[in-house]
Amino acid sequence: MYQYSEFDRSFVNQRVAHYRDQTQRYLDGKLSDDEFLQLRLRNGLYIQRLAPMLRVAVPYGTLSSKQLHALASIARNYDRGYGHLSTRQNMQFNWPALEDVPDILQALADVDMHAIQTSGSCIRNVTTDQFAGAAADEQIDPRPFCELLRQWSTSHPEFEWLPRKFKIAVTGATQDRAAIGVHDIGMRIYGDDASPENALVDIYAGGGLGRTPVLGALIYQGLPIKHLLTYTEAIMRVYNRYGRRDNKYKARIKILVRALTAEGFKAKVDEEWTHLKDGVSTVPADTFQRLGEFFTPPAYTDQPDVSATLADQRLTHPAFNRWLTHNVGPHKREGYAVVTLSTKSVGVPPGDVSSEQIDAVADWAERYSFGEIRISHEQNFVLAHVAKSQLFELWQQAEAHALASHNNGLLSDMICCPGGDYCSLANAKSLPVAEAIQRRFEDYDFQFDLGDIDLNISGCMNACGHHHVGHIGILGVDKKGQEFYQISLGGHAGHSEIPPKLGQIVGPSVARAEVCDVIDKILRVYLGLRLDHESFLSCFNRVGIAPFKENIYASAA
Amino acid sequence: MPQLLRNSDQGWQIVDEPDAQWQSLSDWQAAGGSRGRVTVNVDSEPDQSWLSADAIAVDFPALTDGRGLSLAVLLRTRYGYTGDLVARGGVHEDVVHFLARCGFNVIELPQGRDLQTALRWVSPHTDYYQASVSNPTPHFLN
Repeated sequence: MYQYSEFDRSFVNQRVAHYRDQTQRYLDGKLSDDEFLQLRLRNGLYIQRLAPMLRVAVPYGTLSSKQLHALASIARNYDRGYGHLSTRQNMQFNWPALEDVPDILQALADVDMHAIQTSGSCIRNVTTDQFAGAAADEQIDPRPFCELLRQWSTSHPEFEWLPRKFKIAVTGATQDRAAIGVHDIGMRIYGDDASPENALVDIYAGGGLGRTPVLGALIYQGLPIKHLLTYTEAIMRVYNRYGRRDNKYKARIKILVRALTAEGFKAKVDEEWTHLKDGVSTVPADTFQRLGEFFTPPAYTDQPDVSATLADQRLTHPAFNRWLTHNVGPHKREGYAVVTLSTKSVGVPPGDVSSEQIDAVADWAERYSFGEIRISHEQNFVLAHVAKSQLFELWQQAEAHALASHNNGLLSDMICCPGGDYCSLANAKSLPVAEAIQRRFEDYDFQFDLGDIDLNISGCMNACGHHHVGHIGILGVDKKGQEFYQISLGGHAGHSEIPPKLGQIVGPSVARAEVCDVIDKILRVYLGLRLDHESFLSCFNRVGIAPFKENIYASAA
Repeated sequence: MPQLLRNSDQGWQIVDEPDAQWQSLSDWQAAGGSRGRVTVNVDSEPDQSWLSADAIAVDFPALTDGRGLSLAVLLRTRYGYTGDLVARGGVHEDVVHFLARCGFNVIELPQGRDLQTALRWVSPHTDYYQASVSNPTPHFLN
């Protein structure tokens, strides 16, 4: 993974010094609340319902054991002993004290981490495939390109004060685990790791969830990768100049793309690009090669064939069998596997992990995965390079730390935002809904029988829980001061060649007490109608929304 | 007396300069549009005809309105403007470094702001990652 140079190190340290001074001036009354707001957001600090929240950047979701141990320490020393994995691969702390944040940022800088631009109307963390560099279906590792974008966008003087937040996602695999179709800029890179400088990139713009969900438009197909920065600069300049600033609900780039039409938007960007193309920010081959060298495969060793041992362990340990089935995926290297450690247990808010669990994962990474950890946008940890011979041992330890829920991809592997319990933007609480569903459908055999279902919960239209692209989506709404929940079906984040799709609302929203019953009805309709082992999504696509609508609202009629 | 930071060969300094007479763009154009000092809004489309002005001031309605930054970049790079490029309006001590790197060479802080603090933070970093007006070589080329 990427290693900081002295340049990177001095940059983050200087940033901490600047923020420390800003905090002091704010506490001395020299900066107003509004002035400090803009500065603290760009250093990751939100003020929420109950307490400040600090969002630490985990660039493209990759971090080292040492860094993860430091996050555990921060959770212990400055917070309430836990952290939260976000849907953009970052880690959040829910209870830091405002005056402690400069010290927390220094603790981060000491391990080559930061919270730069994790909030505010600026370019945010570039996210990617949580299995980057490992997945069997990967064509090219997207992370060298993510690192380049990270550097280019860090404190970019022209693009720090955009109309709204800006999110970029990158993929290099057949299956898009980065959901590029619903990002402000989505990038699909083609090529091979041996010559990153020859890669091509398809660029999508104007995708997003939230109030007005929309899929990104393809605005450049097959751009030679050396133009990555100049073309992105052209997009950013057009957005910075022409994005709406009169209405914050109409200020994302997706609104601009729609207003200009995709063709119109592309024309403006291409025109701007004529002035930038082949200019000083054109990236030479050796830059790609140099960055690529940070992401070369780890020191794999030849692995014995352990299929017989694993088969045995599967028989003697049914829970291990389930875990292997759902949480362990194919690796590009023979004898290795990609492991998802689930944070989703009954009664635990999805994505929340204690400092003990964080330290444990950091240790396991050291022992089993070359010291590297990923955070997925499904709010789980990933150990990307585990030898199959060590899977059982890892699983036993994960079990002991409540990180072995064998539910990856299943109903209880939900994406859920913090919701009304924590977030002042929320219309309704999301966590109690998640917990109720987890408890109601706890039975593993039932979940296994259901198969892969993406259930995503958001507490408001901002869609931080990605409800639009859930197979089952739940959206908290405020109906005359009461918390109600709107259910949608059939959304998905995109798979293989199939672009993402937004869910269809099934009918009027329901009270919280009814949500589990509604989910129950939905699942029973599916089980009643499905053919053979047809997945929920396939069944829905085949039968449509009508049978679900009828069943849910029949008794109300 | 305006509160000014000016960039020169010796770097950024606090300077004493008399209050300037500024004309709005429309007034300036009506008066013949040459020499003199003109103020423009952040949503203006830059124009060739502005190049003869001795000074162009960009009025930031708020520090959060980043359009003035793109305007400065375009004026310096695309249009090659060499006169004084002045940032004024909703600017404060902690955004001067963005303004500086986008090509503003004069920053006028509103009354009540702290020029010493602004000067202190006109360059919070010794170097930056990306190419900019003030830093034409991107770090990845070093």
